[in-house]
Amino acid sequence: MIFEDDETLRMYVEESKDHLVDIENDLLTIEEAGEDIDEDLVNNVFRAAHSIKGGAGFMGLSKIKELAHKIENVLGMVRSREIVPTPDIISTLLKAFDTLREMIFNVENSNDMDISEHVVELVGLTTASLPDDQKESITMIVDVALPSGRKVLQSSKFDIDHARKEGRFIYLVEYDLIHDIQRKRKTPLDVIAYLLNSGTILQSKIDIDAVGTLDADVPSGIPFYVLFASIIEPEIIPSLFDVDEKFVHQVTDDMCFPVAADQIEKPKQVARETASEKPAAKPSAEKAFPDELIREQKDAEPLDTDEKQDQIHQQASTAVDVQDSSADKPSIMKNSVSQASLRVSVGLLDLLMTLAGELVLSRNQLLQAVSTNNMRALETSGQRIDMVTSELQEAIMRTRMQSIANVFNKFPRVVRDLAKELGKEVDLIIEGKTVELDKTIIEAISDPLTHLVRNAVDHGIETPDIRNGHGKSAIGRVKLSAYHEAGQVNIEISDDGKGIDGEKLVASAIKRGLLSEQHAALMSEKEKIALIFLPGFSTAQKVTDVSGRGVGMDVVKTNLDKLGGIVDIESKVGEGTVIRIKLPLTLAIIPSQIIDVGHERYAIPQVNLNELLRIPAAQVKNRIEKVGDANVVRLRGNLLPLLNLAQVLQIKQTFHDPLDGRLQPERRDNIADRRSRKNPLFLSHEETDESGNPPNEAVDEDFIKPRSGQERRTSTKSAINIAVVSAGAFKYGLVVDQLRDSEEIVVKPLGRHLKGCCGYAGATIMGDGKVALILDVAGLAQMAQLTSLEGADRVSEAALDAARQKKAEKDKVSLLLFRNGEKEQCAVPLGIVERIERIKVMDIEVVGGKKVIQYRGGSLPLFSLDQVAKVKPLPDFDQLEVIVFRLAGREVGLMVTPPVDAIDVVVTIDAITLRQPGIMGSAIIGDYTTLIVDIYEIVRTINPEWFDETDISSSPQGGITILFAEDSAFFRNQVKGFLQEEGYNVLDAEDGMDAWEMLNQHSETIKLVLTDLEMPNMNGFELTAKIKADPRYAHLKVVALTSLAGDEDIEKGAKSGIDEYQIKLDRDKLLETVRGHLSNIKID
Amino acid sequence: MKERNQRKQNKIIELATFYIGDALCGIDILNIQEINRHLEVTWVPQAPEYVLGVLNLRGRIVTVVDLGKKLGLSPISPGKDNRNIIVDSRDEHIGFLVDRISDVMLAETDKIEPAPSNIGGVQGKYFKGVFKTENSLVGVLDINATLKDE
Repeated sequence: MIFEDDETLRMYVEESKDHLVDIENDLLTIEEAGEDIDEDLVNNVFRAAHSIKGGAGFMGLSKIKELAHKIENVLGMVRSREIVPTPDIISTLLKAFDTLREMIFNVENSNDMDISEHVVELVGLTTASLPDDQKESITMIVDVALPSGRKVLQSSKFDIDHARKEGRFIYLVEYDLIHDIQRKRKTPLDVIAYLLNSGTILQSKIDIDAVGTLDADVPSGIPFYVLFASIIEPEIIPSLFDVDEKFVHQVTDDMCFPVAADQIEKPKQVARETASEKPAAKPSAEKAFPDELIREQKDAEPLDTDEKQDQIHQQASTAVDVQDSSADKPSIMKNSVSQASLRVSVGLLDLLMTLAGELVLSRNQLLQAVSTNNMRALETSGQRIDMVTSELQEAIMRTRMQSIANVFNKFPRVVRDLAKELGKEVDLIIEGKTVELDKTIIEAISDPLTHLVRNAVDHGIETPDIRNGHGKSAIGRVKLSAYHEAGQVNIEISDDGKGIDGEKLVASAIKRGLLSEQHAALMSEKEKIALIFLPGFSTAQKVTDVSGRGVGMDVVKTNLDKLGGIVDIESKVGEGTVIRIKLPLTLAIIPSQIIDVGHERYAIPQVNLNELLRIPAAQVKNRIEKVGDANVVRLRGNLLPLLNLAQVLQIKQTFHDPLDGRLQPERRDNIADRRSRKNPLFLSHEETDESGNPPNEAVDEDFIKPRSGQERRTSTKSAINIAVVSAGAFKYGLVVDQLRDSEEIVVKPLGRHLKGCCGYAGATIMGDGKVALILDVAGLAQMAQLTSLEGADRVSEAALDAARQKKAEKDKVSLLLFRNGEKEQCAVPLGIVERIERIKVMDIEVVGGKKVIQYRGGSLPLFSLDQVAKVKPLPDFDQLEVIVFRLAGREVGLMVTPPVDAIDVVVTIDAITLRQPGIMGSAIIGDYTTLIVDIYEIVRTINPEWFDETDISSSPQGGITILFAEDSAFFRNQVKGFLQEEGYNVLDAEDGMDAWEMLNQHSETIKLVLTDLEMPNMNGFELTAKIKADPRYAHLKVVALTSLAGDEDIEKGAKSGIDEYQIKLDRDKLLETVRGHLSNIKID
Repeated sequence: MKERNQRKQNKIIELATFYIGDALCGIDILNIQEINRHLEVTWVPQAPEYVLGVLNLRGRIVTVVDLGKKLGLSPISPGKDNRNIIVDSRDEHIGFLVDRISDVMLAETDKIEPAPSNIGGVQGKYFKGVFKTENSLVGVLDINATLKDE
């Protein structure tokens, strides 16, 4: 029964889609209202179903018609309040509409779809609410006949009765497709739409048979019968139909004849006919059509008018058209699912037209200006074109913009179905439906968003009884909102459910081997929650069928990353979860940062760019460090992994020569300056690293050595440029040669031969016509095998610390750095410092040849280094820092110049070269030669009498010998120094072996052993074990001095027999401990 | 039917010929979009070895292939006669960089003989056949085979 041409069918499909758009939400609202029916809404849905049915009858889409009809029946009863829209009924309707939609989208094959299930359910609904005597009418089919007795169509008795009951009149109208429709330049759809304004179409049929047999009665044309129900009175009805009065019949009972079951026109039969439309059945289609057409033509022949002939031909050609187009229709239909066409407002189109006109005008101006060589005009038209192009661009962009409602609108249904299935109660709140996004983005976020919403309902919201138990309202709340911010679109999905338990995620990640425990311990709560984005992760204890199956979140993230979006997740256990997504408005034109590496130009999308960093040459060695093989940069206290773009892409790097400004090939292999390793911090590292060093190290060395005179890097031009980029939550620094402008670029795809390179997101054409590649920040990180965990920067920080600690296991010391003269860096052990004060120089009093300052009601004696050591005098400042020490029971202050800074370093102290009174030695700290100040010596030199007193007052311990093993001369001197001040005899040994020998030599006198742990030859643990194992010395107490007292060490120490731990250079505590142990001995 | 088949075989095609080193090759001219000397190619690091880079052809990004390398011959040596032959392959423009352009020849399809399995070191699978003229041999390139993804 193919009547429509391609255009008609497409219009029908488009219209039906429009009708279907809002149905879901309308139905849900109807459900919510329950008995309290909003008639407008029901009418809305009813009309939609009705229009679809009407058109379907016309197109021969029997299955669509049948289903729409059944839906309509149910809705009719809802409208007349015969049934109450319970959730079950709404569910059935929703499902039926789903199938209907599916059929509309795949209209070609709709007749092959199985709708029996829906029909049974829907009919069940209608029957259930009817009194018994009417039940029969539902399934009963009647023939409706013309007054002449010719049965023209069949209809359900129920429909007719129902319409009558509502006080409507039933009409049977005969249209002639040729005279009444085509001649009047209408389409069948127009007629249907028009009729639907004033009533309902119960049934419609095109009667091809009539053409063949009733040429006498119906001289020409193809009859189209419509069974129509309307409240319009019979008197005025013909004017509505716009046909002659004699073709409108009011249907009375005597026109209806019950039909025997075997005579019912089965939809199947129609289906078979229309099935021939399908491309698969094309041969049969070819056959079927000619037959029909030939018959038509034959029948038309007796009329013998050329005009008629033409019409039939026209008819025939339409039919043939259909047949032709049917071959390539499946592809059209497929496209239409992903919206191959787009609705654009006429206003916008007008604007585009205007702009296009402007552009043409400007071009004319430009051409004129060029031909007359008029520079001024050239300039003006250039500006004009610039303006018009930007406006045009914006307007064209807007045509691609679609409201996010397209995605959001499906969620009420999703949430409702899911909640129902899971036995939960969920309210969905949607905000910001009007926010617009590029069509491609709208399409691409649909799936990730669905996933997130389902997750929120499935895993987030608890069941009502659990919620009640937690004192929450039984109804969960899921909120979906969209808003603009900073040129991006933000989408938020929040729920008030149980939240995500970071600890559980961590436990699960560790169990799966995705994370090490050490790593986990360093993670912040947010990072723990972000674990959910790791591939292969599921949080639900019970994997449910509905959402995710646990493989979702990483896919969500990858999808959003592809769009240049950012996902951020925030959650509190018991309170809920908020997921924020940031998306760019469009993908076609993006603002980008242009950068140079070697001779190549690249673009980094601005969405991925966090900040630009320029490390001046002078700071390179301080701020860029190496952890293992990776370079890292210190950025506001965090370590940022660095990726050298040139290395990743294997480009020869360049730099601007500071001397002549020319571009030169870069010869450095490492950004982190190896020379900075003369910094003692890295000394041991280098030693231990030697074996693992790549062979090119030697070459590198050659470059460096001869150029020690002229430091290239002191030029600002050889500073290091870093683009700090983020791929999702993961940040890293991209080292580039040059940073250029920020530009808006047009993204163009790369050819298929370059698909294998994952470092690029596409290409663009620069102002000079050359191509520049757009970098894919995430792809680059992947290529360089940077991990993609949010905690990566912190982890590497930890790794760096650990690496340092490893080195520090030998001798890590806390020093207080200060300056004497402006260039003289000095240090004292932090352990002996009481505090630091800032004083005004004018407050210093000179009393009795000594400097003091009034302080806390007493006088604080002040010294300066130059009083004892040969150093420069203090510069003439208004303010000075005073480092306060406590010596021999008094406080003394050492005047120094700022800055004063405390550091933890490993130092090798040279106790010879710069040794002088007051200075115990020197070390290199932070690239400065640093004098290590011996504060005892200074104070003793200036005030020897203080120490005599103490010697007298506190020398009960005189003659007691302590054995002290320590490999570092600095510590040895320090500790020995203050032990001796206390009046002990100290025997110092350089390592465990040495100590053991001494112990054997002086076995009688030694009363206590102090030992360092890490020493060459024999370490502290071994020494202790040896002492404790020897019966001669087993009674000796062993105190270990260490810079780190980790649990592991303490345990190990306890095993070997260490009695106590003390932190090195914590003078007072150490002395107290020593005193304590020795007094015990005395009692013994 | 048979006759028609034969006529089809006897179709005359125009071959645009060019040199890769000393080897003379030809492409059915209907496959060629244009021949130009846009040689401002942007290098693409990490790309397959035979890809020279990308090129802006009036707003389209064109992948430029060093045909010499692609065919396993010596790479194209830069010179003033270098040309880019832009062909259309699967809705994408691709440029073949060649040493220099030669004539357009008329060739009857049945005169194109199957390529020997090994033409001067060139991989035979890239060729549809060999066309013999009075004084030269032209290897007729199969564009799709040449540009097949690997």
